[in-house]
Amino acid sequence: MTRLQSSFTPDASKDGGTLLSVRDVAKHYPIRSGALQRVVGQVRAVDGVSFDIRRGETLGLVGESGCGKTTLGRLVSGLIAPTSGQTYYDLDSSSLAALDAAQTLPEAERHAALAAINAAHGIETMPIEAKNRFRRNCQMVFQDSFSSLNPRHLVIDLVGRPLRVHKEASGSDLTERVVELLEQVGLGRQHLYRYPHQFSGGQRQRISIARALALDPELIILDEPTSALDVSVQAQILNLLNDLQAERNLAYLFVTHDLSVVEHMADRIVTMYLGKVVEAGPTRSIFDASAHPYTRALMAAKLDLGPAGAASENKAVLDGAVPDPARPPRGCRFHTRCPVATAQCGWEIDDIVRILERHEALCDTLTDVTRESDFAGTLVFEDADAAQKMAAVLASEAVPQPFRDALELAETTGTKLRVRFRQAEDIKLTRRGPDHLAACVLG
Amino acid sequence: MSMEMSDTKSARPVTPVTIASVRGLKVHFQSKAGRVHAVDGVDFDVRDGETLGLVGETGCGKSVTGRAFLRLLPVPPGILAGGSVMFRPQTTCPDCQGDGCERCDDSGRRPAPCPKCRGQGCTTCDQTGIESLDLLTISDARMRDIRGDRIAMIFQDPSKALNPTLTIGEQLGEVFLQHRHADLLAAAGIAEDQPGWQASALRRLASQQDRGTDRLLVKLSGAMRRKHRAIRQALDERIAAALSETQIPNPQRVMQSFPHELSGGMRQRVMIAQALACDPDLIIADEPTTALDVTVQARILDLVRQLQTSRGSSVIYISHDLSVVRHICDRVAVMYAGRVVEIGDVEQLFTNPRHPYTQGLLAAVPTTRTPRGQLAAIPGSVPELIDPGPSCRFADRCAKAHGPCASHDPALQPVSAGHDVACFLEHPITTASRARA
Repeated sequence: MTRLQSSFTPDASKDGGTLLSVRDVAKHYPIRSGALQRVVGQVRAVDGVSFDIRRGETLGLVGESGCGKTTLGRLVSGLIAPTSGQTYYDLDSSSLAALDAAQTLPEAERHAALAAINAAHGIETMPIEAKNRFRRNCQMVFQDSFSSLNPRHLVIDLVGRPLRVHKEASGSDLTERVVELLEQVGLGRQHLYRYPHQFSGGQRQRISIARALALDPELIILDEPTSALDVSVQAQILNLLNDLQAERNLAYLFVTHDLSVVEHMADRIVTMYLGKVVEAGPTRSIFDASAHPYTRALMAAKLDLGPAGAASENKAVLDGAVPDPARPPRGCRFHTRCPVATAQCGWEIDDIVRILERHEALCDTLTDVTRESDFAGTLVFEDADAAQKMAAVLASEAVPQPFRDALELAETTGTKLRVRFRQAEDIKLTRRGPDHLAACVLG
Repeated sequence: MSMEMSDTKSARPVTPVTIASVRGLKVHFQSKAGRVHAVDGVDFDVRDGETLGLVGETGCGKSVTGRAFLRLLPVPPGILAGGSVMFRPQTTCPDCQGDGCERCDDSGRRPAPCPKCRGQGCTTCDQTGIESLDLLTISDARMRDIRGDRIAMIFQDPSKALNPTLTIGEQLGEVFLQHRHADLLAAAGIAEDQPGWQASALRRLASQQDRGTDRLLVKLSGAMRRKHRAIRQALDERIAAALSETQIPNPQRVMQSFPHELSGGMRQRVMIAQALACDPDLIIADEPTTALDVTVQARILDLVRQLQTSRGSSVIYISHDLSVVRHICDRVAVMYAGRVVEIGDVEQLFTNPRHPYTQGLLAAVPTTRTPRGQLAAIPGSVPELIDPGPSCRFADRCAKAHGPCASHDPALQPVSAGHDVACFLEHPITTASRARA
C-alpha cells in the first residue's frame, strides 16, 4: 500500500509493526432469571478471539448479525471490559513473541510469564498514563450517527470535546483546530455553530469522523460506518476514509456485514461466527480461495451488479437460523448449518433436540433428557412407541448423513433412548496459506 | 420479452397490459419553510405480473409514491396535489372459476368488469369494459376493502410494523376477518344471507364489527359457542396455511408467539405472509430486506420471487440497493428529487444507463475492479425540494450539466423501445420548445 509522505507520518521504526494484539478475548453476558435474579447461563457474545492489527492497515471484521462483531469492536476499544483475555497495545516484536510463546504455557505459568507484558501493555491492566495514551490513539466511529452525536451539542462542542478533555487546545485555538478538522472531512467553518439534526446522514457521519480524528489517533474502529447511508454517499465516505488513511497512516478496524464494502476497503479480513473467528487472512486470498464453508456461504449470498442468471440459481443459500449463543454447538459451531459437514464436526445431544423441533409430534412426547456429557445421554419419552419412532428418525434420511456417521450408539430400552456420539474437540484455526488461517476440519 | 407480452395481450381486448398506472402524481408536504415537493409529477405503469423496481437515494420520494397507492400518507401535512393512481382490480376468471382457461391465459384471473356497464364498454371505463379505480379519490370504505385484499404492503422494518402486544396469530387473523369473513362463516356452516339474530351476531363477530352483547351471547348459548369455535378454527387453519406458505417451520407455534420472540428473518416472513394472505393483485414491498443479513436477504428474495411467479401478482419493489433490484426486478424506475428520471428494462438500464444520475449510482457501488479510494461518488446531496423552480433537479450535482439544464425542465422521453430518459443530453431542447418555455 502506498503511503503519502506528510508531516503526519510517524517515526519509521514503528511503521508496519503491530499496533494492537487481541489475545483470547472473551465477553460473556450473564442470563439472570427468577426472583433472586440468579445467573442461569452465559451468552457467549465473544468467545476466545485472537488477532493483530498492524499500523496503517485496514482489518475487515465480517459476520452475520449476532455473531459478536460489534461487541468485539467495543472490547478492542476498551469501552467494555472482557470476561477473560486481554488486548495489548503497542507491543514491540520481542514482547509480541513472548506473548505468543506464553499462550501455549499452562494456566499458572502463563500468568507469571505475562505479568510484565500485562502491566505495561494490557489495556485493562496498564497504568493510567499509559491508558490515557491508548485512549487518545484508539477512536471509534459508530453506526448510527443519530444516537452517537448529542443532539443538544453544537458541532464545535462535539468535535472540540476530545481536544478539551485532553487539554490540547482551548479558546480561539480550539475553534481553529475544529475548523481544520472539519475541512479535512469536507465540511467548513459555516458548520461550526449548528446542531446535528441540521445535517444529512452523510454529513453527520463526517462529523463523527472529524471527532475521531481530533486527537490524531493511530487506530479508528469503524462500526458499520456506512450501513445507514445511500450508495452515493457511502462512496463519498469510503473515499474520505481512504484519503485520511493515506495521509495519516491510520489503522482501521472496519466492522461490517457488507462484503462488497469490505472487499473494497480491507487489507485483511476476519470472519466471525457465533463469537469465534472461523477464518482470517488477506482480502484477496479470502475472496479467491476461502477455506471455510461459512465464508463461502456469505459470499454466495452477496449480490452484485452482474447479470442475474445461472449463478444466482444454484447458490447454496444457508439453511436455518444462528443457534443460541448461550449454548453454542460443540466442535465447529457452524456444523448445524454447514453444507459440507463431516462426522468429525462435533455432532452432539443438542443436535437431536434441534431435529426434534422439526418433528412436532415427537417433540411433545419427550419428557426428559439426561446428559452424561455433551456427546452422550438418555432421552426419555412418554411411551415406548415414541422412543422407537425417534430411533427410526435418527437412522433415516431425515437427518444429515454426517450426523448418522457420528452417531455411534442409539438403543431403545422401553421409553428410553440412549445415544452416544463420536467425541470431538473444538476446531482450532490452522494455517491455509501465507497469513491465512481457517477453522475447518476439511483440507 | 415485455414487448411480446404486450402484443399478444393487446389481441385480446379484455386483458390489459397494465394493472396500475400512475399519472402526474404530486404529493407535497406543508412545512414552515414552504411547500416541499416530495413527489412532483411521477408517471409510470405497472404491468400485469411484473416486478417494477423503484430506486433512488433517501428523500427522492420513492416510499411516498409507494404509500400513495394505499393512501397511507399523513394528510395534513401531506397534500395530494394532483395526478392519479389508476388501479385495475382482478377477479377470478368467470369462465373457468380459477382453474385456468384460454381466456385468462391459464392464470385463472381476469380484470374485474366495469360495474356500470358489466363489461360492455361505456364512457366511465373508456369503452374497455374494465373496472378502473382512482386510488386517490375513491371513498374510504372502498379503500379499506382494497387495502390488504387487492393491494398489500410489505414494510421495511417488521419490528416496527408488527404490533408488539398481539400474537402473530391475532394480527394475521385480522386480514382474514376483514376481507374473508364470508369464507369463515361458510366454513362454520352459516350462509351469507341466513336470517336470525344468532347468525347476525356471528356475522358481526366474524367481521370484527361485534357489539358487547355479541360476545355475551356467545358465552351464554352453547350452539353459538360451537359455531363461534368453528369460525375460530377455520381462521386458525387459514393463518397456519398462510404462514407455512412462507416456509415458516412449525406455524402452530409461531402463531402463539409475540413478534419479539422471533428473529428478524422470521418477522419479515410473517410480514410477507400477512401481505400475501388474500392473494393480492399488487404488492408494494418497501425495502423489505434492508434490515436483514445478507444470508437471510437471499432467502427472503428467493421467497418473494417464487411466490410472485406462482401467483402472478405484480410487485412494486422499492429499494436503494441496486444489486437487489438487479436480481429481482423486471423493470426499473430510477427516481430523483420527486421525479422519475429513467425507466426501462433491468437489462437495458444496467448495461446502458443513459441518465447521468443512473450512471453515477451504478459507478458508486464498490466492485472488485474499483481501485481503493477511487469510487465514483456523486458530489453533494439530494436538494431540498421547497418550491423548486423550472430546471433539471440533478443539474447542480451533474458533471454533464449544460445550458438548458438550469432553466428548463426535462420530460421523460423514449430513447429506445421501453426505455425512457428525462435528460437534455438525450433529447436536446429545440428552439421551438425553448420559445414556448
